[in-house]
Amino acid sequence: MATKTSLIRNFSIIAHIDHGKSTLADQFLLQTGTITRRNFQDQLLDSMDLERERGITIRMHPVTIYYEHKGVRYELNLIDTPGHVDFSYEVSRSLAACEGVILLVDAFQGVQAQTVANAYLAMEHDLKIVPALNKVDLQMTRIDAILAEMETSLGIDPLEVLRVSGKTGIGIEEALQAIVERVPPPSGKPDAPLRALVYNSHFDVYRGVVVYVRVKEGCIKKGMKIKLMSKGSEHEVLEIGQFRPGMVPCEELSAGQVGYVMAQIRSLGDVHVGDTVTETNRPAAEALAGYKEPKPMVYSGLYPVNNHEFEDLREALGKLKLNDSSFTYMPENSEGLGFGFRCGFLGMLHREIIQQRVERESGLELIVTAPNVTYEVLSRNGEIISIDNPQKVPDAGQIEEFREPIVKASFIVPKENIGDIMKLCTERRGIYIRTEYLSPTRAIIVYELPLAEVIYDLYDKLKSLTHGYGTMDYDVLGFRSADLVRLDILVHKNRVDALSIIVHRAFADQRGRKLVKKLRGEIDRHMFEIAIQAAIGSRIIARETISAMKKDVTAKCYGGDITRKRKLWSKQAAGKKRMKMVGQVDIPQEAFLAVLESDQ
Amino acid sequence: MSIHTQQRPPWLEPRAAYIHVPFCAHHCGYCDFAVAVGKDDRMDAYLDALKSELQSLGTPRPVDTLFFGGGTPTYLPIRILERLLQLVRTWLPLNAGHEFAVEANPSRLDRAKVQLLADFGVNRLSLGAQSFQPGLLRILERDHAPDDVARVVEFVQPIIPNYSIDLIFGVPTQTLDQWQDDMRQAIALAPMHFATYGLTYEKGTRLWKQREKGDVRALDEETEYYFYTAAMDTLAANGFEHYEISNFARFGFQCRHNHTYWANHAHYGFGVGAARYVDGVRELNTRDFHAYIQRLQAGESPTFQSERLEPRDRAFETIAVQLRRAIGIERQQYFEQTGFALDSLVGGTIHDLCGHNLLADDGQNVHLTRSGKCVADAVMERLLRAN
Ligand SMILES: Nc1nc2c(ncn2[C@@H]2O[C@H](COP(=O)(O)OP(=O)(O)OP(=O)(O)O)[C@@H](O)[C@H]2O)c(=O)[nH]1
Ligand SMILES: C[S@@+](CC[C@H](N)C(=O)[O-])C[C@H]1O[C@@H](n2cnc3c(N)ncnc32)[C@H](O)[C@@H]1O
Ligand code: SF4
Ligand SMILES: [Mg+2]
Repeated sequence: MATKTSLIRNFSIIAHIDHGKSTLADQFLLQTGTITRRNFQDQLLDSMDLERERGITIRMHPVTIYYEHKGVRYELNLIDTPGHVDFSYEVSRSLAACEGVILLVDAFQGVQAQTVANAYLAMEHDLKIVPALNKVDLQMTRIDAILAEMETSLGIDPLEVLRVSGKTGIGIEEALQAIVERVPPPSGKPDAPLRALVYNSHFDVYRGVVVYVRVKEGCIKKGMKIKLMSKGSEHEVLEIGQFRPGMVPCEELSAGQVGYVMAQIRSLGDVHVGDTVTETNRPAAEALAGYKEPKPMVYSGLYPVNNHEFEDLREALGKLKLNDSSFTYMPENSEGLGFGFRCGFLGMLHREIIQQRVERESGLELIVTAPNVTYEVLSRNGEIISIDNPQKVPDAGQIEEFREPIVKASFIVPKENIGDIMKLCTERRGIYIRTEYLSPTRAIIVYELPLAEVIYDLYDKLKSLTHGYGTMDYDVLGFRSADLVRLDILVHKNRVDALSIIVHRAFADQRGRKLVKKLRGEIDRHMFEIAIQAAIGSRIIARETISAMKKDVTAKCYGGDITRKRKLWSKQAAGKKRMKMVGQVDIPQEAFLAVLESDQ
Repeated sequence: MSIHTQQRPPWLEPRAAYIHVPFCAHHCGYCDFAVAVGKDDRMDAYLDALKSELQSLGTPRPVDTLFFGGGTPTYLPIRILERLLQLVRTWLPLNAGHEFAVEANPSRLDRAKVQLLADFGVNRLSLGAQSFQPGLLRILERDHAPDDVARVVEFVQPIIPNYSIDLIFGVPTQTLDQWQDDMRQAIALAPMHFATYGLTYEKGTRLWKQREKGDVRALDEETEYYFYTAAMDTLAANGFEHYEISNFARFGFQCRHNHTYWANHAHYGFGVGAARYVDGVRELNTRDFHAYIQRLQAGESPTFQSERLEPRDRAFETIAVQLRRAIGIERQQYFEQTGFALDSLVGGTIHDLCGHNLLADDGQNVHLTRSGKCVADAVMERLLRAN
């Protein structure tokens, strides 16, 4: 089954979100006969439920196709990648298994933030870029302007840009040809000692861990004894195969090929992505350069609504972790919420998806606390404390320096929105770096901004300011000192630890006022008056009051029929389910997210 | 040992019986009790069914209290009313010092019926006045005029001096002045007892539908609060003790039968839709008038639903019911009745609620305070949540 390296081409499809990667992959599958019309569905590779529901790609999807060019049969290993910023780690990993990429650009939308970001990633990996304008079937296109944008921003020669439509099939043949002709074949030697890069893995409930490999040198066969070089653990290969797109076993995979290996590995923890697979009996001298694990960008507490379901939640998170190693979880304890987990996510979409999957797959009801980024505190005694939870902020007296993560953010916006974006960035404590014109009508604006000002809602703000035409991307630069404080919320005199946030001192009063007002709307009236206060240390900076309910009594003729009454009580109790009682106050799930929306 | 001390405790063995008489002259728009209108020709059939149900007792069971509720028991014509009284007294003979209470509607009550009731031992009558405002009576779709109540009281008083007046407050459009006037007029009729009920919009009733459609508007919470506290103040000032959420009485005139319910004690229940609580089992009869008669004709049980609660659930239920009383929950007695120490179940919550002045606790009894009564449902919900 081994294909000669000269007949192999490995490439990823990369682009900004929604520019048509998965749809183009569909055409490749159809036109090469990998899949029949009968078994086809749109965005076929988006196989996860959530991907189909949301119409976006979340994980990378590799597939092997065969294409005949000038009488020669080529093996093409393509990887469809996600476009959303949160999942750019998936793109990096995919690229390490390839020699080239198809860079798609929507023929109407043009170059967008993730077009640039992903193109740069490809350049860093020294990959051949095959640029293509997609959706050329659209009524409205801006082809010439976009060619100019691609040239200015990425140095792409307009003559090299293909024109395709994943929807109608225009230009697909040319695209396949271009891949064969322009993307170099892989270079490794099939007879060298085995070195295969683990670029992904997933957990199959029935079959255990499936390891995705790109064989760089040597070859891997069924029955072979292999070793994972980072930990030295040894396994016997039970099955190897290719994604076509379902898993199809084969006898061997040799240098340059892409496929999967199953070797009775029980948990994803035993294989780390970026590891090198070698042969036990004939080991390679050196491992391949791996990947850096992505660091979570945002953290939230996840708590079971019912305290006794803590262990169930642990199990649910463990199961999910098998399938998504990029989120983290650590047990934590909140005075108000009890026992739960502090979870780290790659971004807000990732957070939302993990929450949904946990709830769906385990049936647990969750309280999710407002997200925060990781801060750093340099304490008076010279210690550096990493703050992934506002609870960890030490007393003001012990803080020498409070630091926050800073990102370099690039915005691509229509010219007429430049002023608005600059105003927005200034309000958010941004430092202006530069503006570049992509074309006479569109510009790239670069700012340094605190991650906390970017990650929650800046994207939405940008979309509304630019009527959907603006896009953004960001990279973490590091930590920088800032005048930060912890803002606490007191409900009925009790500090609710899960509602604390870290804010810049200059904005603390304003945030505090908005937050207590918002909370006032979220918490129902109780039998007694409830004060909601915002405080910095012991100083109260804002207060709202929820007046007590006045009358709540069914003063009706009351015979012996208590059964009906009891039903009413249990209905009321059910209504309180998504709430947490803190002190004596029922706080609904929504309140814990009020922090997020307190700006509106 | 006397026979009396051999009896099992009152929360297991009934000493009270409720008889449901569903017949009414017409169906008021707010009412969702088991009511039979236009079925007067089935009165004898109903009594036959009731007889079969009573016979299932096997032997007559003496009781301390009897209660005829409805519907409108006094709507029955004299002959049938007498038959009912005979029947009930046969199967449920009254112990000495009994209370025998009957609900009555002022519209069709006459001296002869009241005399007949008294002859059979009825010593308490509750009169459904509801309001003295013609406009409000219309909204409630009552079939009596304001003056009817005074006319009836005139001949009731000499025969059955212990009479109670039912009033409803919170009727759409009602003002606080009107409510005060209702209470003034009622007090002038010198009853021994008052029941003041907040109008409840029961699902499925005509009134409920009118509210859904927007034809009538419910009063707001604040207004209802003022009505309810006005009742507390006015009736207290006139010598009526607020002894249960909706009930007020002159000294010595509390309704003993209803106390059975509020103590969570056992009681019999007969008739369509009736509830009973015997030997720790709660049962409800079918609410369907024809089904009730048919089942008993066929020698079947009229029971529609039956449940035995776990001891812990029963203990929580007892908390909620007993709290309706001004005396509230007495710890020692509660322990004897339920087998649970009150504080082991809800001690912390009681403490919190006392802190908000919703409950008062003297170490022995726990009861609702004035503000606690106004939000009693929420208080009970908080207490039951500990379960
Ligand atoms: N008119 C037209 N629409 C297209 C074409 N290709 C894709 N689309 C539409 O564009 C939308 C996004 O397509 P996808 O293939 O899911 O895009 P994607 O790049 O994979 O998106 P992500 O994986 O979420 O980044 C869908 O509504 C497609 O139907 C095309 O060639 N022409
Ligand atoms: C079972 S009814 C029977 C009394 C009698 N049939 C009459 O209406 O005069 C007892 C009392 O319950 C009260 N009541 C009935 N329906 C009510 C409702 N929906 N809301 C509040 N009180 C109600 C009335 O005050 C009524 O007098
Ligand atoms: S309120 Fe009384 S009279 Fe009116 S329908 Fe109900 S039971 Fe009958
Ligand atoms: Mg996609």
